[in-house]
Amino acid sequence: MSTLTLLAPGDEFTPPGLELFDAAPIIAGVSWFTKPVLLALLSTVLVIGFCWSAFGNPKLVPRGVQNVGEMGYMFVRDQVARPFLGKDADRWMGLLLSMFFMVWVWNLMGVIPGLQFPVASHIAFPVVLALSVYFLKIYLGIKHQGAIGYFKNMMFPPGLPKPIYVLLAPIEFLSNLIIAPFTHAVRLFANMFAGHIILAFFSLVGFWFLFEKLTPLGAPLGVIGVIMTIAMTGFEMFIQFLQAFLFAMLAAMYIGNSLHADH
Amino acid sequence: MGILAEVTGSLGSIGYGLAAIGPGIGVGIIFGQGVQAIARQPEAYGLIRQNMLLGFVLTEALALIGLVAPFMFGR
Amino acid sequence: MPAMSEKKIRPEDDGRDFASAAWSIPSYLLSGMILYGGAGWLLSEWTGVVAFTPIGLILGVALAVYLVYRKYGR
Repeated sequence: MSTLTLLAPGDEFTPPGLELFDAAPIIAGVSWFTKPVLLALLSTVLVIGFCWSAFGNPKLVPRGVQNVGEMGYMFVRDQVARPFLGKDADRWMGLLLSMFFMVWVWNLMGVIPGLQFPVASHIAFPVVLALSVYFLKIYLGIKHQGAIGYFKNMMFPPGLPKPIYVLLAPIEFLSNLIIAPFTHAVRLFANMFAGHIILAFFSLVGFWFLFEKLTPLGAPLGVIGVIMTIAMTGFEMFIQFLQAFLFAMLAAMYIGNSLHADH
Repeated sequence: MGILAEVTGSLGSIGYGLAAIGPGIGVGIIFGQGVQAIARQPEAYGLIRQNMLLGFVLTEALALIGLVAPFMFGR
Repeated sequence: MPAMSEKKIRPEDDGRDFASAAWSIPSYLLSGMILYGGAGWLLSEWTGVVAFTPIGLILGVALAVYLVYRKYGR
């Protein structure tokens, strides 16, 4: 009977929980310098290094890193900046390009072997970026449309009958000023958080049933775990790119809405 | 006769997970058929887009009601 | 105000309008639910009648759907 059990006697498989995200300080005594902070600094160095080597010495006919850099620049300009900012797109390319590459490298840290921690799965990082875009949006809206005009254009879109405004203006206000930055940050955070837990869960299933407690019935479960880990890693890499693109696109949309009011 | 089967734990999350199946399929159908319609008749794009967004908001409303249902009926 | 299907949208504006609409729809739904559901909840805490919370939530959903209909559907 005992050879037919799934688990070796006396052992329980415990799935990974929130302890995945606890970070211990790397240098004893400096309590704020933890692994996520180190990875964030590393991704800053990577993005700066890439952009510097690509655009520092531009030649007319691009070769090497400049070619890849130009592909990235064209992608951000045509898909993120130009649809929402129109003619002013070139002014905002610096912000949008940096934001896109930064968030993408942050997310990629989650699948690089050895590092394996998506920086955006600590809520502080997306919140800081989303809040900076939020304050920029309000500042630009008030500067370009006047303080009263900004809120009037936002809360009272033209063309609705008058009595509706009383009921609908609070919804518009709440949606634009409270829900928008919240979802902007939480969308990135929740995707990276969930993806990290999924990857950790399937890898732990594979490792546990194949190496820790090897039983005849448990080994196929371990193989399934390994296959699922590979599949989910591929899916996760796609989601990482998509979330970086969405973050930059929504930042461009909020800035564009502040610069020219909805007509 | 005692209890034959039981579901314990976080019933709210199980409930929301089941409730998200319907709107998920619904939104997929709406946008899938919308894209197909645009491909067949590109000059009707404005009309198709308008109806796509209307259908989307009605389906999404159900998904969001499912999200808050555990809090509404949980007491 | 011309219906959304009759407005003349330049091709370069089109992606922006659709994306703005697509992302603001769940946002309107959520904020309608929070606003009127929260008001209903406060009312039910104040009066003790538990039924105000779901009424407020459904009212918020209905108002948000109506806002989307007027803004994007006509």
